[in-house]
Amino acid sequence: MRMICFAKRNFMELTRDVLSLVFEIALPIFLLFIFQQIKIPGDTFKLVNFTPGIIIFGFAFITLFTSTLVAKDRSTSLLIRLGTSPMKPRDYILGYILSLIPIIIIQNVLFFAAAILLGLNFSVSIIWTILISIIVSILFIAMGILIGSLVTEKASGGVGSIVVQLVVFTSGMYFSRELVGAFFAKVCEILPFESSLNIIKGFLNNDFSLISLRNIIVFSLWTIIILIISIIVFKKKMVSDNK
Amino acid sequence: MNAIEVRDLTKRFKDKIAVNNVSFKIKEGELFALLGTNGAGKTTTIKMLSGLILPTSGEILINNMDMKKDVFKIKEILNVSPQETAIAPNLTVLENLKFMAGIYQIESKDKKIKELVDIFKLNEILNKRAKTLSGGWQRRLSIAISLINDPKILFLDEPTLGLDVIARKELWKIINSLKGKITIILTTHYMEEAEALSDRIGIMSNGVMVDIGTSEELIKKTKAKNFEDAFVAIATGGEL
Repeated sequence: MRMICFAKRNFMELTRDVLSLVFEIALPIFLLFIFQQIKIPGDTFKLVNFTPGIIIFGFAFITLFTSTLVAKDRSTSLLIRLGTSPMKPRDYILGYILSLIPIIIIQNVLFFAAAILLGLNFSVSIIWTILISIIVSILFIAMGILIGSLVTEKASGGVGSIVVQLVVFTSGMYFSRELVGAFFAKVCEILPFESSLNIIKGFLNNDFSLISLRNIIVFSLWTIIILIISIIVFKKKMVSDNK
Repeated sequence: MNAIEVRDLTKRFKDKIAVNNVSFKIKEGELFALLGTNGAGKTTTIKMLSGLILPTSGEILINNMDMKKDVFKIKEILNVSPQETAIAPNLTVLENLKFMAGIYQIESKDKKIKELVDIFKLNEILNKRAKTLSGGWQRRLSIAISLINDPKILFLDEPTLGLDVIARKELWKIINSLKGKITIILTTHYMEEAEALSDRIGIMSNGVMVDIGTSEELIKKTKAKNFEDAFVAIATGGEL
């Protein structure tokens, strides 16, 4: 109940920031539209491949704005007030995660609505993709909580932007990793963004051969590790911020 | 009955001792002012008493419950108005009150909110976003929120800091109306505030509780002309 109440408040804070909605929803849809107009040859920009890229790109902004919200909460006395309430650490973390799930669903529905308007065929795979995207989004939300717990409100924008850039360059949404050399390909393999993209692509295309075991392991490990670290760091910071 | 009992409370941050072996008792319904110079240890003491940070050593009993064992039970019956305004900026005044009522799981939420809106005269700003309010209104809302769970113990950390004279007097009136009903621990830098509002005053210096008494007792003890002089004499050990 406390967790739901906190989530509701976070949702209101996030959705009342017009800039966050522009970056989380409007910008990815704009990119989807633009890249379909250019008619670039190859498979990367086909709607079945590029829409998952747009989903991951939108999630990168979820990381950015989650980190700003957490950092802002830390900088004001609101967390001091909540720290003296009977809220438990799990209420905070789940409260942040739950508040973002409706935004993730809205994002996905609008992305797919735009993609269908641009020519993507409607299929049940879209529903499955939206559901798997919610699971994938936990990684991005946890990264936001971790960044917001570590840096100030001002710095959170900058660090969040790095995540956006990493997603753009290492997820494979714009170009295949084979095109950029062995070292960079290894980086893409190790970071979780390409794996996240492949998982979503596999579900949308209803072709699970697109999802390798490595993708599942890399994504799962990153998500579990980042989630655990974000909980530990957030708890520690709540105490140390109050010294 | 004692609402708060503190025994040998110490807080150490690395090599710095913020609060050093402090002991005192506060009776139920009492308004206790905690005074001291900057860095005296007041806010650290309040943070330990409100369960926000753990003491390095010592014992805190709130309504006979041990802070170490019953921290979540204790948190149900206390509330804090922090030094800086603690509100959700993008939420309206009403949404802020509803949000905190939800956090404390208040059963008769609407009734409690109406009561607070009346006491703090928040009606005219009820649907305004908190970030658009003046400092005085934000502080008023912050204190109203701290009463949402009908706390038995209320910590007011410099509640009138930065407010103009009228806003300050208005808050004094509200705090005075709470006297006797709630145990209040108030920290302030305004001597006249402590003198006007409190039943007893504790003076801290360098992490130590130097003296405790009513304002009259402290003036008499130091043979000072007024309370401000008494405070200076106690806080500096008679050096000034």
